[in-house]
Amino acid sequence: MKNSIYAVAFAMLFLSACKNNQKQAESNEMNTHEMQMGTDDNHSLMDETMQADKTMDATTQKSGLTTAIIDGYLILKNALVNEDSKKAAEGGKMMLTAFSNFEMAKLTETQHAKYMEIAESAKEHAEHIVKNPIDHQREHFEDLSKDVNDIIALVGTDKTLYQDFCPMANNNKGAIWLSEIKEINNPYFGSKMLKCGSIQKQIN
Amino acid sequence: MSLFKKNFLFLLIVFVGIQFMPTTRNQRNEVLEIDFFKTFGAPNNIQNLFKNSCYDCHSNNTNYPWYNKIQPVSWLLEHHIKEGKKELNFSEFGGYSKRRQKSKLKSIKNQIEKNEMPLSSYIFIHKDAKLSENDKKLIYNWLDELKK
Repeated sequence: MKNSIYAVAFAMLFLSACKNNQKQAESNEMNTHEMQMGTDDNHSLMDETMQADKTMDATTQKSGLTTAIIDGYLILKNALVNEDSKKAAEGGKMMLTAFSNFEMAKLTETQHAKYMEIAESAKEHAEHIVKNPIDHQREHFEDLSKDVNDIIALVGTDKTLYQDFCPMANNNKGAIWLSEIKEINNPYFGSKMLKCGSIQKQIN
Repeated sequence: MSLFKKNFLFLLIVFVGIQFMPTTRNQRNEVLEIDFFKTFGAPNNIQNLFKNSCYDCHSNNTNYPWYNKIQPVSWLLEHHIKEGKKELNFSEFGGYSKRRQKSKLKSIKNQIEKNEMPLSSYIFIHKDAKLSENDKKLIYNWLDELKK
């Protein structure tokens, strides 16, 4: 009795192993050409973000399209100032909702492509902010701030905002953040270095 | 049959049964044009470090040890790979937008610096996946060059 059970068990193991291999071979063939996309000029990573920075020099357009995104961002920013990781996650969630409700139909064709790229990146950062502890939230907040800043440069805002800069964030390479008030309250270090930073630019 | 034997038989049947549950193997043998190494022209020593320490979960080609072909290990691994590739897939790195490539490069360095990656559970099984201080320096220097 016992022996036959073992024999059946092993036979089944081999059978299933064979089946897997076959499937694998099939899916290999199917997937080979699936992902071949264009890859020209992948070496210049800085190009696009620098372009976005340049357009910042023009006066910001008035637009209400970005209001919900910025509202979520500011809740997130203030939560990081107050070292409140839970509230920061809420801000991240608000931003995700704002991105999915964003009225893309109101963008011009050229805006649209750029918006899609920035929003894709921003959403990824917001997702990480929703599910991680504060150190990691701050890491993603560096890039998210840049993304939101670029969206404002691209689409505009009705709000008056300040673009602040902390030279010590991002491993001393520096990082920006946006604030609704003139006073410096640093979201990257919170109470440790609340007043570290300076205003780089006023938006509206 | 004693209770022990019954339980054993039951577990055996379950174990054999789950071997039939299909899992997707993460193995595409072709290297795509948008592969991380091709995108940035990575030197061989850097390629080896990434392949050894990252590619099992962050690429389209996992190097499966024998025990990973057996359930339920197979499922666990499939889940890890799915999550890993969602965050970062080196095989398709060149397909990300420039903006995302840049932030991913930064995150790669951050994760290694903080010893978050490679996962400690992964290193526990794959001793050779652990990055030495020297390996890390090589990777950082190469990544810093890319960002310039």
